[in-house]
Amino acid sequence: MTLREHDLTLPLTEDAVRALNVGDIVYLTGEIFATAGMPTHDRLLGCLDGVEDLPFDLKGGALFHLGSLNEEGEDGALRIVYMNPTTSTRFNAHMPRLIPGLGLRATGGKGGLSAESAKAMAEAGCVYLAFLGGGAEIITAGIRRVTGIGWPEMISHYRIARIEVDRLGPLTVGIDAHGNSIYDRTTAAALDKRQAILEEMRKARGA
Amino acid sequence: MAITDEMILHATKELYSRALRKVPEDAKAALAQAMTTETDETARHTLELQLRSAELAEKKDRFVCSDSGVPVYFVKVGAGAELKCDFKTSIRAGYEELVDTIEPPMLKHVTNPLTLERSYHGKDMPIVSYDFESGIDYVEIICSPKALGSGRWAAMELFTFPSLEEIETYILDVAIKAGAQHCPPVVMGVGIGGTFDHCAGLAKKQTLRKIGTTNPDPALAAMEERLFRAVNALGFGPMGTGGDTTVLGVHVDYASGHGFTPVAVAFNCWINRRTSVKIWGDGRMEWGE
Ligand code: SF4
Repeated sequence: MTLREHDLTLPLTEDAVRALNVGDIVYLTGEIFATAGMPTHDRLLGCLDGVEDLPFDLKGGALFHLGSLNEEGEDGALRIVYMNPTTSTRFNAHMPRLIPGLGLRATGGKGGLSAESAKAMAEAGCVYLAFLGGGAEIITAGIRRVTGIGWPEMISHYRIARIEVDRLGPLTVGIDAHGNSIYDRTTAAALDKRQAILEEMRKARGA
Repeated sequence: MAITDEMILHATKELYSRALRKVPEDAKAALAQAMTTETDETARHTLELQLRSAELAEKKDRFVCSDSGVPVYFVKVGAGAELKCDFKTSIRAGYEELVDTIEPPMLKHVTNPLTLERSYHGKDMPIVSYDFESGIDYVEIICSPKALGSGRWAAMELFTFPSLEEIETYILDVAIKAGAQHCPPVVMGVGIGGTFDHCAGLAKKQTLRKIGTTNPDPALAAMEERLFRAVNALGFGPMGTGGDTTVLGVHVDYASGHGFTPVAVAFNCWINRRTSVKIWGDGRMEWGE
């Protein structure tokens, strides 16, 4: 069996998103949004509550949990020196509201999101794309340039960066828009196997 | 001739910088070995990607991961080592010099737990532990930068006169709870016994043991084998998308204690950041992983 590969252009259409299944491999070209900040996610929720305006219109966008180091070039333009995913489950409390609220078509990072987020994704037509943790060079290679920085007063990896990417990937579909989550599936399978594994260990101990 | 502050400062800087750029050879070999046994297609794809990432970072002299962690050092002072240095001051100075000069720069991960403010500096940074050893004439320093994913899922529980079954069940349950949040395939370090702090130290140190090494204690070697099979049978797989490779090694150590028995489990993520150096008074430095 070979893995299904998709070369997708951003912004993603709902059809393109619904055509993806867990385990598929995706490359992205176009503009993405990235942040690694907990305070940033709090502020995004604040935007939904009307506390302040969004730094970018994220409707139909792809917002990923990625941390990056930016450097200002001589022309004043920001350049991303390296980028890597951060743990998405830290944002389990935010994402079920942010996905429909912001109108996201894709989110992602590493480690997946809760079942509640998966449900929100199925309803809204959004996927979770898994990046390789410790894949800084592979991920950075897909970056063309930074096209905008939201909330520049925050520290580097908390800001929201708008980034033009060219075949960013490979990314793995971890949660699709049909309610399937690789993370829930593997966790449920592990819990199912627990008793049998403990039995095997007992046998191996010769007890 | 003696080990000087300059040598310690240089070692501190260099160890951290190297740890960020290179996945140790034994970890790469273990990933390559897993490729040959892994039955899941997505898992093999991820393992291949991990090896490619390691190779790229090494070739380009860049960081494997953007989470450069917080600085953690283990110092072992040989009884025969000649010293003319102030470890605490020079390790701190080495770390400060590193964050000021390292290329590319590191992100600020040192976090004040009370205010959540982030910086390069903070109370008790770098985290250093000291040990003495008889029969050696050098100082060994190991650096193992600790990042969020690899640090967050460590756990400890205190039992009273536990059976092996209770101990192993607990370890398996810690692995289930961690799931794939620590960027598997990981190395699991386990400490059993001693006291609260000592046990945590045992687990931590076992994450630094070379992958593929056999425990000299046959009972522990058998336990490691059981746990290795058990955790891999859970099926989380590389980066948690399913598969046979969740751990590259389970390393166990124990210490005698009272009847209250702590059991600690710590992890090192797939990039297995660790570097070491042995320093002699005549200026020799032997770098290792
Ligand atoms: S767990 Fe390791 S590989 Fe994963 S993001 Fe953290 S430092 Fe990087």
